[in-house]
Amino acid sequence: MRLLRFKTPDGHPALGARVDDEVINLTELGLPGTLDELLRHGAAGMASVTAAIAKATKRTPLKNVQLMAPLHNPHKAFAIGLNYLDHAHEGNFDPPKQPVLFHRYPTSWVPHGVAIERPKASIEFDYEGEIVAIIGKGGKYITKEKALDHVAGYSLFNDGSIRDFQFRSSQWMWGKNFDRSGGFGPEFISADELPRGAVGLNIETRLNGQVMQKANTRDMIFDIVTLIVACSEGMELHPGDMIITGTPAGVGFARKPPVFMKAGDICEVEVEGMGILSNPVIDEV
Amino acid sequence: MRIFTFEKAGKPTLGVLRSVAAEQYIDLELAGYAHAHDLSQLLAQPNWQDQIGTILEEHPTHAVQSMAGVKFLPLIPNPGKIICVGLNYADHAKEGGHAIPDHPSFFLRVNSSQVAHQQPMRVPKASSKLDYEAELAVVIGKTARHLTAENALDCVAGYSCYNDGSIRDYQRKGTQWTLGKNFDLTGSFGPWLVSADELPKGAHGLKVQTRLNGQLLQDGNTADFLFSVAQVLVIMSEVMTLEPGDVIITGTPAGVGYARKPPIFMKAGDICEVEVEGVGILLNTIANEVS
Repeated sequence: MRLLRFKTPDGHPALGARVDDEVINLTELGLPGTLDELLRHGAAGMASVTAAIAKATKRTPLKNVQLMAPLHNPHKAFAIGLNYLDHAHEGNFDPPKQPVLFHRYPTSWVPHGVAIERPKASIEFDYEGEIVAIIGKGGKYITKEKALDHVAGYSLFNDGSIRDFQFRSSQWMWGKNFDRSGGFGPEFISADELPRGAVGLNIETRLNGQVMQKANTRDMIFDIVTLIVACSEGMELHPGDMIITGTPAGVGFARKPPVFMKAGDICEVEVEGMGILSNPVIDEV
Repeated sequence: MRIFTFEKAGKPTLGVLRSVAAEQYIDLELAGYAHAHDLSQLLAQPNWQDQIGTILEEHPTHAVQSMAGVKFLPLIPNPGKIICVGLNYADHAKEGGHAIPDHPSFFLRVNSSQVAHQQPMRVPKASSKLDYEAELAVVIGKTARHLTAENALDCVAGYSCYNDGSIRDYQRKGTQWTLGKNFDLTGSFGPWLVSADELPKGAHGLKVQTRLNGQLLQDGNTADFLFSVAQVLVIMSEVMTLEPGDVIITGTPAGVGYARKPPIFMKAGDICEVEVEGVGILLNTIANEVS
């Protein structure tokens, strides 16, 4: 199933199910208002979506709704650095032996269709196309065998980065958390709609239509199973936590000459079977 | 003015100390205050200091409680952001083998990594290398972006203590410190907020100390910051909008356990105290993670 959060025409946030090019308002049918809360209801929550879709009589064209980010307020949003060999090499990093984690705050991203912002402080605004795994079932010390049982589904992420700030110190947090510098969406895709562990999917980032990153999720150094095992060793994972899984080669700063995003550009992240996350670029207002 | 968060009937509730002696407090819920459960929300009130001042003056006797037996919660259990400054004292950078940085380094803590004053910090199953880091915590009181050196401190509501507990082997497994700084229940925050007017401007010139089982292991002073509170606020607000209840922890001085010869790590049964002069003592026992 494909779930999205959107604003109704009168401005109320609601959780919806997308069926083809139409949206069913699940909140109106008595379901939770956010994916975060729905995930906390586990399998029963997902079953209630299936039931609601079956009995829904009212549908709104997708083009008439304003999308919001799939999750409202995730407590954790860990991002994985250098998770594709070719991307580690292009940045002159040794490929990591363990997953490398940093964190993004929800204030650092916008939904599909909303502009990402190049800050006043820098012109080095770069894209990073990624898939994100969304936790459905919490747990700690999750084993390899059980890891994928904890993933409710997936979505797309543009891990927009302010490169000069990212590399001012050894810690990347600085360049990864500018307000509204990343994109998340357009929708939540339940795990059953994709290959196990989202392995083997073509991933592509386009800037103004030109292909800048092109890879396959099978080339991740640490697959989603490994990432869940590694994250849950230190921290109990909870429904709605995000693991943003890293980007392949082709980022702007490593190109010769470098390519950075500027006002008027359109950046798209596309993953096979998962749709397109598209964001225009504006200057910070 | 000193405000803290405690648990009452399973719910976070705010109290105000009657005096620095910390023997009695006023329960803000019993005092009928509208924002008595969430410090971020209280600080978002533009005139919170007058409002709390009035309550202290009126002294509603039915709301006065003894501090004995109070169960503290992390000063702000769910801040929008916990921004940590790495390597903000020259001597600590040196002891870790780092060059004196041109820029501060920043990392984040997530809310689930926090514990409260007097609650146990946890040695995880995965590692025995739980280390202490005494720090001054800055609590934001106003929405702020693009601050300048002149107005930066206007957005500070007050200060507290933080023990930026770190799992050293995990911190250094990769280039990013995030994993080692975010184990569940490893960072302590409290005991209370001291409003900015009670401290020197920018909390300058305050001793920052750690004692482990009574032994003084860190003894720094905020006068030795590489980047002052105002400078950190200017730099961070260039990146993100700061909001009431956001927390910035300002880095630790030399003397951490892993850099000692031989190294010292905290273990079950230890008592760790972080003291910031004029703010208070943040005390935690150490316990093993339970399954």
